[in-house]
Amino acid sequence: MSLTDQFIERAKKSPKRIVLPEGDDERMVQAASRLAAQGIARPILIGDADAIAQLAAGAPLDGVTIVNPSSCPNMDRYVAAYAKTRGVAEGIAKRLVKRPLYFAGMMAAEGDADAMVAGVAKATAQVISAAALTVGFAEGISQASSFFLMVLPGTPERVLVFADSAVVVDPTARELAEIAVATAGNAQKLLGMEPRVAMLSFSTKGSAQHPRVDKVREATEIAKQMAPQFAIDGEFQVDSAIVERVAKKKCPDSAVGGTANVLIFPDLDSGNMGYKLTQYLGGAQAIGPVMQGFAKPVNDLSRGASVDDIIAVAAIASLQCG
Amino acid sequence: MDRAEVEKRVKKVVSQVLNVPESNIKPEHKFTADLGAASVQSLELVAGFEEEFDIEVDEDEALSVQSVGDAVEFFVERLV
Repeated sequence: MSLTDQFIERAKKSPKRIVLPEGDDERMVQAASRLAAQGIARPILIGDADAIAQLAAGAPLDGVTIVNPSSCPNMDRYVAAYAKTRGVAEGIAKRLVKRPLYFAGMMAAEGDADAMVAGVAKATAQVISAAALTVGFAEGISQASSFFLMVLPGTPERVLVFADSAVVVDPTARELAEIAVATAGNAQKLLGMEPRVAMLSFSTKGSAQHPRVDKVREATEIAKQMAPQFAIDGEFQVDSAIVERVAKKKCPDSAVGGTANVLIFPDLDSGNMGYKLTQYLGGAQAIGPVMQGFAKPVNDLSRGASVDDIIAVAAIASLQCG
Repeated sequence: MDRAEVEKRVKKVVSQVLNVPESNIKPEHKFTADLGAASVQSLELVAGFEEEFDIEVDEDEALSVQSVGDAVEFFVERLV
């Protein structure tokens, strides 16, 4: 069974309320129908009921909740909550919250949904902005980031988690530490693994001196303080992180070196190249980018996402709920 | 409504949403680089302008507005 199929089966054990703001997109409607019919999630579609029924084209909508912002009795509560949290006038809040992405975000923020999945029509930046302003960030986290699950070929399959390979361009030490901690938490929730987090660099434990190495070292210390429950260490070159033979020589005292399963890249250049090299030269399957850092899971889709893609991402969001 | 009125009201909205004194806001100021807006606040500014001028604007078009002067031009085109 593929990793994605495993996620779907696990999501069925505790179906979450996943709000899908793009109810005017046929793929979202079809995905909602299947999520409900197969018991993977309890989908909430934002939009007009008649228009959604047309897009369903006969697909069953039993178990799908449809919410139209213009007639929703919770609208005033969402507007008041947004205005209070953000410190803006209610008139401005109302203009925003009536937009589907913001309305869906407020459903999650106010506890009426467990997670949000969007992005078939809206750009990633718009999804991130809406989530940041409505759902907000998890405790100790100041920004959105992302991770990839890299399924390496071979038997049995081995899965590594890479971050951040898609969102944060040039993180500070603090931001890098946040990425490490958020990724470790998601690795645990999604894969059931004990995360062993390697903070990557071109230096292993002081083998090189450079301000960029200092940044990774500082991030390692911050991350350890933020999440003492996780095994986090650095700085490591990639081989010191994942090859035990090399780790025995370069960092024999590290509990993470040689056996890391979560790799934190120092910036987006290395993170993006790292995942693509692993995918295209190493033959790995890349699942992601999966968004993280929000107070509740918010996942972005590519505009070319298929119904199957939406279902897989909804299952991942369900598992991110913990 | 004339251009001066649009500019005055744009500055008022920018001041309220970004919490910057109106007297410090110049037409050449960019929202993020000069006025401290977080990039995620773009749509909050758009909603502020919509509320002030009581119109609805296309979200994608409005997000191309990056500076105070851009915003003045955007609304002069639509209101004056």
